[in-house]
Amino acid sequence: MAAIVEIQNLSKQYSGASEYSLDNVSFQIKRGDKLGIFGPNGAGKTTLMSILCGIISPSDGSVTFRNKNEEKIELRSMLFKLGYVPQDFSFYPELSPYQNLMYFGALYGIPKPELKKKIEELLSVLGLSHVMHKKVGKFSGGMKRRVNLAIGIINDPEVLFLDEPTVGVDVQSKNAIMTYLEELNQQGTTIIYTSHHMNEGQEFCNCIALLDKGSLIALDTLDNLLSQHEEKSLEALFLRLTGIEYRD
Amino acid sequence: MTKLLASIKKEFLLLINDKVGLLLMYLMPVLLVFVITLVQDSTFKLVNENKLEIIIVNNDEGSLGDTLMAQLSRTGTFHVEQKKQLSDSDIQKTLLDGSELIAIKIPERFTENLRAKAKNVSIGMLSEFELADTSDFVAQDAVPPLKMFYDPVLQESFRFSILSTLYANLSVIENRLMIEQLYSEMGFDEIPTGMEEKFKENRINIDQISANTSSGEIIPNSTQHNVPAWSIFAMFFMVISLGGNIVKERLSGSFIRLRTIPTSFSLVLISKLFVYVFVAITQLALIFALGKFVFPSLGLPALELPSNILGLIVVSLLSALSAISFAMLVGTYAKTQEQANGFGAIAVIIFAAIGGIWVPSFVMPSYLQTIGMISPLHWCIEGYYTLFLKGGDWYLLTPTLLFLILFNLACQILIYIKLKIQNYI
Repeated sequence: MAAIVEIQNLSKQYSGASEYSLDNVSFQIKRGDKLGIFGPNGAGKTTLMSILCGIISPSDGSVTFRNKNEEKIELRSMLFKLGYVPQDFSFYPELSPYQNLMYFGALYGIPKPELKKKIEELLSVLGLSHVMHKKVGKFSGGMKRRVNLAIGIINDPEVLFLDEPTVGVDVQSKNAIMTYLEELNQQGTTIIYTSHHMNEGQEFCNCIALLDKGSLIALDTLDNLLSQHEEKSLEALFLRLTGIEYRD
Repeated sequence: MTKLLASIKKEFLLLINDKVGLLLMYLMPVLLVFVITLVQDSTFKLVNENKLEIIIVNNDEGSLGDTLMAQLSRTGTFHVEQKKQLSDSDIQKTLLDGSELIAIKIPERFTENLRAKAKNVSIGMLSEFELADTSDFVAQDAVPPLKMFYDPVLQESFRFSILSTLYANLSVIENRLMIEQLYSEMGFDEIPTGMEEKFKENRINIDQISANTSSGEIIPNSTQHNVPAWSIFAMFFMVISLGGNIVKERLSGSFIRLRTIPTSFSLVLISKLFVYVFVAITQLALIFALGKFVFPSLGLPALELPSNILGLIVVSLLSALSAISFAMLVGTYAKTQEQANGFGAIAVIIFAAIGGIWVPSFVMPSYLQTIGMISPLHWCIEGYYTLFLKGGDWYLLTPTLLFLILFNLACQILIYIKLKIQNYI
């Protein structure tokens, strides 16, 4: 499968910081992958994801997106095809899911009739139809996570970035979210995912990138990595490669 | 365009969901303008309409004490209440206990002493021309002074103006007595008919002309100060809602998400601008409507709109934009919502105080008047004063409009720099 994202010599040093948060990282993400980026606290996961989404600029290196014809696409143009689900709730709690989705959908330039249809479908799949006109601020954590996800995929993204999408949710909501993400990937969406839930990552991802102290320390399919390091689980592999010491 | 409309709609929905913010923006200024106007109205009336209550204790046995009282009544400034047989301490006690602020005590033998004084002066004058003999001087005690008692709360300037009125009226009596004496010394029984009228006609009149460029004269009143003043205060107090709203959005995940969407934070700011201009204009319309239609039913003066309606619209729009630009500036630079709310509120209160919102600038010390010129609220209220009290000539409005345009530009440039540094736009 051809690459959809090419990351070359990517480095990031925040102003005032003595060390690089991301140090000369290079790898490719293939179209249709479910890539899990894992690493201890401070490894550079959020920095990498923020650069890939265009939230921050790298200090050095480049990120190249390619379309189905393998032509290069500028990040600005690619933004229409990117979806981002941040770890924090990134919506307006004073508004309803419907109002939030109408707003963010309009910013992608989706025509109103199409947008309305899309919102109804999404809220139905994510089990939020019955509360579509109620204020999100009064929802449970699981419901808020589903709203967060719905906004991230309102534009039918080709590449979807998920930063801890199931943190702090109940089992039912987690199941609904992961099932829907699986469906999206089946439909062709490339998913880049970070989490501290190793079991969830092991079940969901077909490809694993391990970051530690700003450097890429492992990248391969999960099966290859496990057999290469003679480990049975992602968690065991993670501890073996990153150590058992506390990270701040 | 669709993005902008969606953004405006989102801002509007956020606004109507912010019940506390709405109360602050609409109810607070309405209450303020009502309460402050009612309180200040009595002060303005004291100066413009009401007569000052004054006690006169007339111990004179002659007619001139009564003449002085009659003259003071005719000035239209005083409502004279005559009291008899009050000692100095009684008068002071009456002032401290009662509503009167001033008391005048006319001494005993006031008429007799004044007449003797006038006679001696006229003899002195005639003797200079050898028309009288200085042996005709009458023995005279020193004329005992009139006493003016005042309540300590009375402002010094106000006390001096009362004193001036008293001196002026005493001069009239003294001059008349002297002329009578002159005629008497020259052998006339009384001033010839018509001569007194001629003296009055000879007096130089003073025409009072209000410095405004419109034909009608508008007398300043509490409504004409408070309605625009508190409307401006309300507009600038939007900093609590809008400034906090911007910080909240900037720090929240929704803003992070906006940066992954093909749009710009400028769009968010422009949509806020549209919505809050609407808020500011509706605030103005509400408070002006109260001043125009509700105040008269409460016994307060009605708001008289200026003849230059276009000028009113321009000043109102620029004032609204200045308030919004200031709120955006605070929201952009504040690191937390608490910082934006605290700094914003305190800054607006200080700007209002030095800018002449609470009390007109001209009563402040000159250094404070100079400092007050940095306050955008000062220029807003100056604009309204020019419109409401000075006829609203465009030439007179120019400095105000220029300052407000420059203030807006400066705010927007500072906002742009901050957002650019933080890679938001």
